[in-house]
Amino acid sequence: MSGHVKNMCPQLTISQAARTLISLLLVAAIDSVSAGVVCRKQPCGSSLQRSLKLTKLIHKESVDLLKTYKLSQGDMSELFCQMSINNVPDPNISGLDPSDRMLSIYSHCKAFLPHLKRVTEQQTDLQPPSSSLLSKLSTAHNRTNGLANQINCIYQTLFPNLPIPPEPVDGPTSVPPSQNVFQQKVYGCVVLKRFKEFLSRVTRELRTLKSQVCTRRTTFADTNALF
Amino acid sequence: MNSMANQDNGSAVVSRCHVSTAVAVNHRLHHLEGSNFTTMPSLFFCILLLGLRVTESQASALAPPQEVRLDADKETQTLSVTWEDGHASTFDVEILLTELMEMVLNETVGVTEDQSTGKHQWNWTSPVPLECTSLSVKVRSRDGQDVSEWSSQQILPGLDLPDNTDSQMYPEGKTVPVGSNMTFCCIVEEGQQFGSLWYKDTLVKENMLSRRTYATTMTNQGPSNPSGTNVVCSNEKKMIIAGAVVFVGYPPLPSDLVCETHDLISVDCQWSKGRNTYLFGMTRQTYYTLNGRNCPKARNSNMRCGLEHWDGNWTLVARNLLGEFRLTDAAELGHRVRPVAPVNLTTPEVYSWNASVGWLWKDKGFERLSLICQVQRTSHLNSSTQTYTGYGLNTVVLKDLQPDEKYSVKVRCGSQKNFWKWGEWSLPLSFQTKMDRPVAPDIWLWMDSDNLGRVLWKPLTKSESHGQISGYEVILWSPEENSQQTLTLPQSVYSLPINVTDRGSKVTVTVTARNPAGVSLPANVVIPRYLPDAEDTTISKVAFNGSGFPLSWVAHANASCVYVVDWYNTSCTQDCNVEWTRVAADNTNTMVQSGNFFAGVRYTFSLYACSSESTVLLERWHGYMQELVPSRTVPRLSPNQEGSDVQLTWDQIPLEHQRGFILGYTVYLTNASHLALLANITDPQLTNHTVRNLVLGSYKFTVKAYTAAGEDGGATVSISLSYWLIMEILVALGTMTCLLIVITIACYRKRKWVKMAFYPEIPEPKLPGDWGITQGTLDVKPSPHSMVHIVEDSVWDSSKEALVTVPEEDEEGTGDEAADTDEPASLRYYNQVVEEGSSSQRRPHASDSSASSTGSMDSGHTDVTYTGIQTSACSLAPMAHFQPQPDASQCVGGGGYRPQMQSASCPEEPHTGPEEHLQAPVGSFGGYQPQCSWKKDSPEADGDGLDQTCLGSPTSVTSSQFLLPYDTSEEGEEHPSSASTWFHNLLTGKP
Repeated sequence: MSGHVKNMCPQLTISQAARTLISLLLVAAIDSVSAGVVCRKQPCGSSLQRSLKLTKLIHKESVDLLKTYKLSQGDMSELFCQMSINNVPDPNISGLDPSDRMLSIYSHCKAFLPHLKRVTEQQTDLQPPSSSLLSKLSTAHNRTNGLANQINCIYQTLFPNLPIPPEPVDGPTSVPPSQNVFQQKVYGCVVLKRFKEFLSRVTRELRTLKSQVCTRRTTFADTNALF
Repeated sequence: MNSMANQDNGSAVVSRCHVSTAVAVNHRLHHLEGSNFTTMPSLFFCILLLGLRVTESQASALAPPQEVRLDADKETQTLSVTWEDGHASTFDVEILLTELMEMVLNETVGVTEDQSTGKHQWNWTSPVPLECTSLSVKVRSRDGQDVSEWSSQQILPGLDLPDNTDSQMYPEGKTVPVGSNMTFCCIVEEGQQFGSLWYKDTLVKENMLSRRTYATTMTNQGPSNPSGTNVVCSNEKKMIIAGAVVFVGYPPLPSDLVCETHDLISVDCQWSKGRNTYLFGMTRQTYYTLNGRNCPKARNSNMRCGLEHWDGNWTLVARNLLGEFRLTDAAELGHRVRPVAPVNLTTPEVYSWNASVGWLWKDKGFERLSLICQVQRTSHLNSSTQTYTGYGLNTVVLKDLQPDEKYSVKVRCGSQKNFWKWGEWSLPLSFQTKMDRPVAPDIWLWMDSDNLGRVLWKPLTKSESHGQISGYEVILWSPEENSQQTLTLPQSVYSLPINVTDRGSKVTVTVTARNPAGVSLPANVVIPRYLPDAEDTTISKVAFNGSGFPLSWVAHANASCVYVVDWYNTSCTQDCNVEWTRVAADNTNTMVQSGNFFAGVRYTFSLYACSSESTVLLERWHGYMQELVPSRTVPRLSPNQEGSDVQLTWDQIPLEHQRGFILGYTVYLTNASHLALLANITDPQLTNHTVRNLVLGSYKFTVKAYTAAGEDGGATVSISLSYWLIMEILVALGTMTCLLIVITIACYRKRKWVKMAFYPEIPEPKLPGDWGITQGTLDVKPSPHSMVHIVEDSVWDSSKEALVTVPEEDEEGTGDEAADTDEPASLRYYNQVVEEGSSSQRRPHASDSSASSTGSMDSGHTDVTYTGIQTSACSLAPMAHFQPQPDASQCVGGGGYRPQMQSASCPEEPHTGPEEHLQAPVGSFGGYQPQCSWKKDSPEADGDGLDQTCLGSPTSVTSSQFLLPYDTSEEGEEHPSSASTWFHNLLTGKP
């Protein structure tokens, strides 16, 4: 057992170091993007790949975030996520066309942001200031915002003639009104659980979109070039 | 009174019936459901009683309360009941669970009328959250035993009403103190079934309050987590349907409020947080105010709050949801001065042994204050703090510094008058002192022999060198010889071999160290006399006591300067590592400690008394830091049989292998794997042991040396006891016998070859007639005309030696003994080799040149002269040269019977001495050569002539013999008579 632990430690260290490095790079990228939401012209594949990597990172962190959250909520918190809560964004991505699905991803990202912020606020009142849960929640919020901006840029690049609706296409998912403490705990758990599920779907979706859209775009470009 | 009591009792019964009926009706109306009336007779009875009661109340003077109103504070679970027109001051209040009609409270309370409003108000705190279920309340006035009618029943609706379908749990988010009791209720969603209630992770027992409401009461609650304690309710499917969080903690309890000034102006108050409240979050955390001003920076463990001006009195209020706590402090400014840290430390002057340090004050007020300051200096050696005082102190001088040493100093100060606390330490300042000349090195001399030794000195430490040592100077000075030798050595050398031969009996060694700042004082030592262990110094044993070797001695008068104890590995012979320590002259004991002591190594400690005149060895010790068993066995163990005893001898174990003081030896008899102790030799010098009275057999002995740590592995030796000498002789004889037998057999089997090689076949002469060789004695009778005259003539002595005549009787008188006889003796000749004994008897004759050929007559000193023998042809031929001799009788008479070998020498024999004859070459004619002229095939050998010529010739008698030439030497004569005879017999198969 000890040997197992010893073997695990280097992996953890390496993964943490790698994660930290990637995080720094991505945060820098996110900051540059989110500052003015200025989209640079990038090849379809690379921009989607970049977003895919960011999505994977956020997804990975969301798994850890949910685990940390449950540990921070006291006894029986494992069962909190099974309760039903309204007004929390649905993790499913809707739409038939790639443009619709990408727009759904974007709108979901935007929809999750206020919920993450609300959960962060609520937990700030429930956790000690030194709690790692608060920093992880804050990180998740910022990265999700960065991912939304990246998706926005990709959408504008791939579908320049399709405007982004001012409101999310899935409809408003406003944050819930005042909740008691127990409801806050349940709410946070459900939000984070759906957030994790959403990121998992986004990962698959971006992978699919990359193979579909970028290939088709190239074909279209080649076809246009012929004419 | 009794009637009143009965009446009252009857009233109570009626009242109870009224309530129950009303509640039942109410309940059915309220919830539009319920069970059928199954107790119609009892209902009828109640109605009857109600009629009676109405009749009675008409007679009561007390009016029932009117306008009963219920107000609920759900946060505090307080129910406020107000009513009017109650002119009494005492009221009965009844509270029931509306749905189950279970009594919650039935109490008589005293309530006075509010003169301003004319209402009565009574507050009740419910143990159960007011949201849990509906409560029914009614009031009546009481004046002693007189009571009014009950007021109309008022219902406080709960949240379990059917129109509120969701699952809920109460209370939620409350903050309560540790140890409090709390009741939680769960309202199950419409259409679901209640499952269970959990407090933290514990399943708790519930009580039913209504159709949908279940409650549990937790007592003596412990502190909760930062996020609170979860209480959850699950349905029958064990799914959580509702939950609540309760925060259980403590009210704040800070302590130790202290206010002080750092700049002589402002105030800085600090306190300790005290007990953990277990309450976190914006609403539940503790908030502090100091003199009414918020302390937003008082968070976590940093419990401090500041004010801009000195007030002299301070009140700290700590407050959270569970309560508040107040702390106060008061002091004058001058009593609470804790200066800030000095800044800009400098070292204006730095020397070898001292330096000055200065600093500045950020606040000018300290320049006008009497200060006490601490300066902490830290070097690689140690750290020390010195205290200085002064008005507006900003410079101090550091003394007792070490030369060439790096120091780090920092300063803090306090108010000298009404000292309160030390201020903060300043930032450290580093500086290095200047170099100075080194101290004298610690030197010692270790003599290997009378004249050879080494000067040793210890490397100077950083605190002794006072700078980088550049080298050492060693001076050998002999006052008697008035000679001085100076040697300069580099800084890495700490010893110098010396030879004090021809330097006199008193030689002083002086060593000085040198660094860039100068030369040290000289260190002197007088060379001690070399004294090995064996010489006239007592050697004691000293035991290691865990920390060192304790040595003590009797004070010595010559130790005017100091005692020196040196030690080294006893088994070391060359370039030993010598350590020493100095003991003050007034001490007579010391503890020798070193990091170089090892277990199993014997150390020699020598105590010297040093003075300026001499160095004298006083005492010597041997000791082990830890004794071990010997690392090897006794060498050269050998047994020595002494009859039935066995003496075992061995050598002592070499010193380096002893690893402890050898206390003795144990001798064991080894039987298989078992060791039987034979002897325990407690004298370590005794290295032999005799085991006595052993019977024949093999023995194995083991000898072990032992120390205080135990025995070594043991040396083993074997011995087999037997009559080994006899056995050895017998073996040798047997071997020789076998060898001879083998040789004999070999020779016998190869006898033909041997015969051919060493004794070739000599053809027998063919003789006419019957010349059979008889084995018997050949009796020769002198023929009548061949008379043998025995004459005494010594002339022929030497010529008669070749043929031996043996008389019939064995003569006793051989040698020089004379035997006189005149009778013609019958001569007996043997055609065989004469027995050795006979030969030996004749040897004197053979060697005696005067002996005649008729040795048998030697006893009579007579010679046999064959006067009548006819000269045979074979003898005549070679003797032809004798014919011209004028006196034949002289020849015959002189020669007598003459074998062939003598024929040639015959004429000359009278003229030659016996010595000359012996020296004559055998090859010519000096030796007896049978058949020298015989040729078997020779014509000369045929014919009658041979019969005539050889008849009677003695040559025929001896011709069949294997005759070897006679050796001229005396010893050579033995061979034909002994070995050759035996050998011949062997070869011929004769006995």
